[in-house]
Amino acid sequence: MRLLKTALLLCILPLLAFGTLHKFYVSVTNINYSEKDQSLQITSRIFIDDLQAVLLERYGKNTHLATEKEAEVTDELVAKYMEARFSIMIDGKEQPFRFLGKKYDNDVAVCYLEVPDIHPSAGTPMEVRNELLTDLYEEQQNLVHFKIGGVKKSFVLVRERTNGVLNWPQ
Amino acid sequence: MNQFKYALASLVFLFTAIAIAQEEAPKEREQGHYNQSKFKQLHEEFATPNTYRSASGAPGPDYYQQQADYKMDIELDDKNARINGVETVTYHNNSPDDLEYLWLQLDQNVRTKDTKSALRNPEIISEASEPEDFAKQFINQPFDGGFNVEYLKDANGKALPYTINQTMMRVDLPAALKSGEQISFSVKWWYNIPDHTVNRARSGYEFFKKDGNRAYVIAQFFPRMAVYSDVEGWQNHQFWGNGEFALPFGNYEVNITVPADHILDGTGELQNRSEVFSKEMLARYEKAKKSFDAPVLIVTQAEAEAAEKSFSDKKKTWRLKAENVRDFAFATSRKFIWDMQAVKLGNREVMAVSIYPKEGNPLWEELSTKAVVQTLRSYSAHTFDYPYHKAISVHAKDQGMEYPMICWNYGRPNEDGTYSDKVKFGMLSVIIHEVGHNFFPMIVNSDERQWGWMDEGLDTFLQYMTEQEFGEANPEIIAPNAKYPSRRGDPDKIVPYMAGDQSTISPIMSNPENVYQLGPNAYGKPATALNILRETVMGRELFDHAFKTYANRWKFKHPTPEDFFRTMEDASAVDLDWFWRGWFYTTDYVDIGVKGIKKYYVADKPSPKLKEYMAAQNINEADLPPLVYLSEDDGSETDPGLKGKPSMESSITLKEFMMDNMTEEERANIKNPRFFYEVTFDKPGGLPMPLIVEYTYADGSKENITYPPEIWRKNDKEVSRIVASTKELTGVVVDPKAETADIDVTNNSWPRKEQKSDFDQFKEEIKGK
Repeated sequence: MRLLKTALLLCILPLLAFGTLHKFYVSVTNINYSEKDQSLQITSRIFIDDLQAVLLERYGKNTHLATEKEAEVTDELVAKYMEARFSIMIDGKEQPFRFLGKKYDNDVAVCYLEVPDIHPSAGTPMEVRNELLTDLYEEQQNLVHFKIGGVKKSFVLVRERTNGVLNWPQ
Repeated sequence: MNQFKYALASLVFLFTAIAIAQEEAPKEREQGHYNQSKFKQLHEEFATPNTYRSASGAPGPDYYQQQADYKMDIELDDKNARINGVETVTYHNNSPDDLEYLWLQLDQNVRTKDTKSALRNPEIISEASEPEDFAKQFINQPFDGGFNVEYLKDANGKALPYTINQTMMRVDLPAALKSGEQISFSVKWWYNIPDHTVNRARSGYEFFKKDGNRAYVIAQFFPRMAVYSDVEGWQNHQFWGNGEFALPFGNYEVNITVPADHILDGTGELQNRSEVFSKEMLARYEKAKKSFDAPVLIVTQAEAEAAEKSFSDKKKTWRLKAENVRDFAFATSRKFIWDMQAVKLGNREVMAVSIYPKEGNPLWEELSTKAVVQTLRSYSAHTFDYPYHKAISVHAKDQGMEYPMICWNYGRPNEDGTYSDKVKFGMLSVIIHEVGHNFFPMIVNSDERQWGWMDEGLDTFLQYMTEQEFGEANPEIIAPNAKYPSRRGDPDKIVPYMAGDQSTISPIMSNPENVYQLGPNAYGKPATALNILRETVMGRELFDHAFKTYANRWKFKHPTPEDFFRTMEDASAVDLDWFWRGWFYTTDYVDIGVKGIKKYYVADKPSPKLKEYMAAQNINEADLPPLVYLSEDDGSETDPGLKGKPSMESSITLKEFMMDNMTEEERANIKNPRFFYEVTFDKPGGLPMPLIVEYTYADGSKENITYPPEIWRKNDKEVSRIVASTKELTGVVVDPKAETADIDVTNNSWPRKEQKSDFDQFKEEIKGK
């Protein structure tokens, strides 16, 4: 319940623009299970300026995201970064994912990842590790929303607690 | 005679149909009900018009407003971050009432040590928090930022009794201030200025560690008269933090003493320019007054950087005078760079001004004044020519706050001078928004304490139009975007909010302190509603005239929501009560879809179904006059020979009628439809809206029809329309251009389109790339 309240607060904060604006560090990741493709479909929404800053810091490359000057290696770097800071483990085993690409939605970069061949039995533990941007910002908070079948679960992950576990529902 | 027979026949069918329906569903007698129509007029919500406020939405013959004039001497103590002042207020009682007491606002008392603002919110333990927040909550001493009132005296120097209730101060008068009279009194006060970057206050200073200087943006800094009006009496609702301000108009003469090496600008015309400007600055100022295409620097970055080191012990007094403003604010620092440009508005010349420390550059010198210029142009075109002589945009970290002629805006580049698009567009948008507030609520002076949306919503709506116009005027600045990326205003942007959890949504007509999500509630939703009203419901011509009428009727006055609602209808002849009711008084959302389609063809004989029905009612075909029949093409009873044939060929009766009643020439020009459809639309959402439909035919041609919102007035859930066409209908789409903020578009097309998830769509897009 508390997590939910925090999540709610985080959703509301960015809406309080003008007058009470506060710089905050947050990303939102949705992990949905596709019955049809038997895969985990993952979208990560990250502020463009935060993503650009971390790519510059780690790889020394100014990527000029979302501009005409955007570097050609950008997707490669983003994929590399996602692989380093994000993972899905099922029954303790890390699952390889595919970085499909990204698109821009105003000031946010939406990254698309897919984990294929997922059909665990009910009760199998699934763990997500989300350390996006915690290497750059101490205050970074990463919201993760799972939706598998009708079951929903949310986590707020921070530098001190980077992982969340969910047992595969019936 | 013929007509009589037809009427008779239809009556027979109608009665039988009703009889059957009743037989099928014997029901308990239902209770009566109030008028629940979504098109019911707003008489119960609106106050009865009176002589103060007319039913047309204009000020009435007895409309009045109070006036408060201020003469103030202010001194800023930069070393101790303290401000003190003496003010003489002259209050004019233009109301018909005698006033036993006056109310003044002490807004800084929201930051007293024991402020109730800190106690009014429930708390829960957060299992992880930022150290800064933790310290603020549990370790740090609270900041003592309330007003210290040293004295309050009447014109003869005699102390006046007063009582402070949080942020409000009541001054008890020895004798009532009679209608038409005025009173003068003086207040001496001081307070500690807060660091606005910590407290997120709308006023205060930012401290720059590197050079040891502060940049001040100072507002709601003096005891200010509350509004007394015909609708609220004294508007003395406490200042809790969210609900902004309600202030009467008046004239100001303000002398502000600051360190001699400071730059200062604020509300009003500078009276002693030659005393406070260097010769160089005066010459540049004269040049700026004639520079209509680019700003002229009054203080350069090099000069500001030199001043940063001077820390003068000397003082300088800046004298400002403003007429007919509702408030006064100023910004001052030795760090400030200053640029100005002239703008022509009608026959007026106005100065667009920007003030920023070097930390704002290069972004601010490139774009701030450009944004101010566009705002003055666009807003003036949609309302009235900007009546003041200048508009200033001041750079202040994380701020976005407006005062008459001056506002604070965020947008800071990285230390190396680079900046992202987010910072750039954020800065442009906030400048447009805050400079725009000069129109709403600084001039069209609504009560922000009570109705946040009246200034924020109207301002965000004009901000959206101004951003778009800025993009059109400056394509090189917004590239590679083809249009300015506005955060708010486009219908699709409000969908996530309106589709959200109802327990965290409030109607727009709510007090800003009590809403869950102030951003979409007071800014995004009303702005989008007005945009939809302009583009889709009223059309630009009717809307723009009505909106301009409202702005002009209420400039330099105090309007209420009803004055706005009434004017928009009165000036356009568009009944909008349903729109205000749905969008402003409820949390309903738009969801309209196409439910199904039935096909029919014309025949000379009743269909087997109808025959059966007639038999049951004991009606013989021979008893009926010649009729044109429409049979449903449901696959089972179809006469294949009749499908798609022109109506006149399928029905002898019709042909005979045409031959008897029309000339050959007239017959040559008739529509002769072959295909008949009954299209049923449903409305899972509560908001009635125009039903915008795109019909597609077999030859690929399209027809767009907009049925007025009143189509929903008798059945709010479901309506049908007939399409009679010479071409076969192949598709129906509701709201094809996504202009109504429909929250669920999966039901918007026939035949149903498979709606792919965002993820699947993305996968599709990148295939083969």
